[in-house]
Amino acid sequence: MSRTIIQCQQLGHYYSGKAALNNVSFEVVEGEPVGLVGPNGAGKTTLMNILCGFLRPTLGSVSLFGLNPGNPELSDKLSALPQDARLDPTFTIGEQLQFFARLQGFSSKEANKEAVRVLDLVALKDSFKEKPVALSHGMSKRVSIAQALIGSPQLILLDEPTAGLDPINIRNIRSIISELSPKTTFIISSHDLEELGRVCQQILLLENGIMSSTRLNMSENDSPTRFFTIQMEPCLASEVIGQLKRLAGVIHVSNPQKNEFIVEYNYEIEPQIDLKIITCITDNHWQYRQFSRGKTLEEKLFFEKQ
Amino acid sequence: MPPNFFNSVLLICQFELKRLFSTRKGLLYIITFAVVWYFILLYPIRYASDLLGRQQSSGHGSTFFEFIGFGSLMNWQIPEFGVYWRFALIMFPILCISITADQTCSDRERGTFRFLTLRISRGRLFFGRFMGAMVIQAILIITTLITTLVLTVYRDGSLLSSAFNSSVAIAVNLLIVLLPFTAMMAALSATIKSAKQSTVWAILIWSFLAGIISGLSSYIPVLDNLKVLIPGYQMTELAQLSEWQPLHLAYVPLLQSFVLLIIGYWIMSRQTL
Repeated sequence: MSRTIIQCQQLGHYYSGKAALNNVSFEVVEGEPVGLVGPNGAGKTTLMNILCGFLRPTLGSVSLFGLNPGNPELSDKLSALPQDARLDPTFTIGEQLQFFARLQGFSSKEANKEAVRVLDLVALKDSFKEKPVALSHGMSKRVSIAQALIGSPQLILLDEPTAGLDPINIRNIRSIISELSPKTTFIISSHDLEELGRVCQQILLLENGIMSSTRLNMSENDSPTRFFTIQMEPCLASEVIGQLKRLAGVIHVSNPQKNEFIVEYNYEIEPQIDLKIITCITDNHWQYRQFSRGKTLEEKLFFEKQ
Repeated sequence: MPPNFFNSVLLICQFELKRLFSTRKGLLYIITFAVVWYFILLYPIRYASDLLGRQQSSGHGSTFFEFIGFGSLMNWQIPEFGVYWRFALIMFPILCISITADQTCSDRERGTFRFLTLRISRGRLFFGRFMGAMVIQAILIITTLITTLVLTVYRDGSLLSSAFNSSVAIAVNLLIVLLPFTAMMAALSATIKSAKQSTVWAILIWSFLAGIISGLSSYIPVLDNLKVLIPGYQMTELAQLSEWQPLHLAYVPLLQSFVLLIIGYWIMSRQTL
């Protein structure tokens, strides 16, 4: 049975009287990566900072592995990529990663190996002797991710891990997360919903300091009403909507963005609606870019209730 | 397994030493200090001790030195160390304020502290940095004392054992004197954003605290005792003492340091990183 590793009870935090977090209660069990999303100013970074022990909550309680944030016993269990944290410009990257490893209990020799290992994971082995100022923004981000991988933490909190990274390195970080999961539980705060949709099974949504939780690919498969999202090449929306609506089982077709269509259908009436939709597209000589099951994460989290 | 409290503090201390001895900034600082010290050793200490030595042997010196306020120099067995002690009581506290002003502030502002506090507690970090600052000052004091000892023995080889005793006495007393200064900078550094601001605040606090207490004590004399709160308030008395005598006043800086470290730790543990 999976154990609970994070427990937040009625958590609140206020900046000059304004609530950044308001009565937030949630639990995270060990296992698959969890996404943390929300609009700007929703309180994601505040929550991450509280979990890491950088910030004391104004109200409520937090426990990680049954311990308070900042407890020294968490040092080999919890790791994080904090937002806007930079390394000391005086020392080389290798020296600093070695020092972090020493603080985590590695011997001098092991610390050196560990620093090389984690730099290799983020494809920055050659930067061992570089100073932080010699690195670009993306490379600095990768070094910060590398420090979070030192040792074998059971929980890693990543605040905007892919922001500022190039596509190759985004893929690399994704594969690191996939390799380490579910032995290591990741909590990933990000605005890149596509990325979160690929990696995470559970999404925590923070809006106006209030938390709600969504399990991806679960609720939809239990319901007879399901969705397909189609990204079309430039086309006449009214024509596409009209044709798709004629298909048996289709309940509703919406056009949330230019050339994007969401088809709502009844699975029990037409289980193979995907084939019908493709046939309809081909028959009408339209072109599509992407055809995917369900709604996009963006649609689910931010526009479904509207 | 994560290191215990003592080993964590030791690791941080070592890293601070590395900052001084293996970084360009640290080495530049050492070279500057060495050049300044060379001139202090060569001129004020050597010439003043020559003069003192001559006055002591002629027997007329004490009146002159007492007249200019340096009579206590005659109490030292070796004049070089008497002059050193007077210089050190001014030079090292000033140096302390400048070199220990950035125990934690720039790391906190840069966010480097976040990486560190994920691995060790804020308390270990605070005391580790404080210990590092004290060890660095101890190294500087010991180095300067060794050079003074060499100068003394070069003048008269028979003074080796007395010079060694004076060196140890000065090292111990000077480190005790510097404890509250370093602790105050640790506390300021834990709450203020930059080293420069810490230094400015330290000077302001000292000046205002001294001014306010002096002002109030002119109306209520008993308040004059509050001067014990000001780090280094006992310096005037210390300057009049020699060899191991300053240890009689050690309780003042030790108590001040204890209080300041508790305040600093309290600030640090509640600080948003």
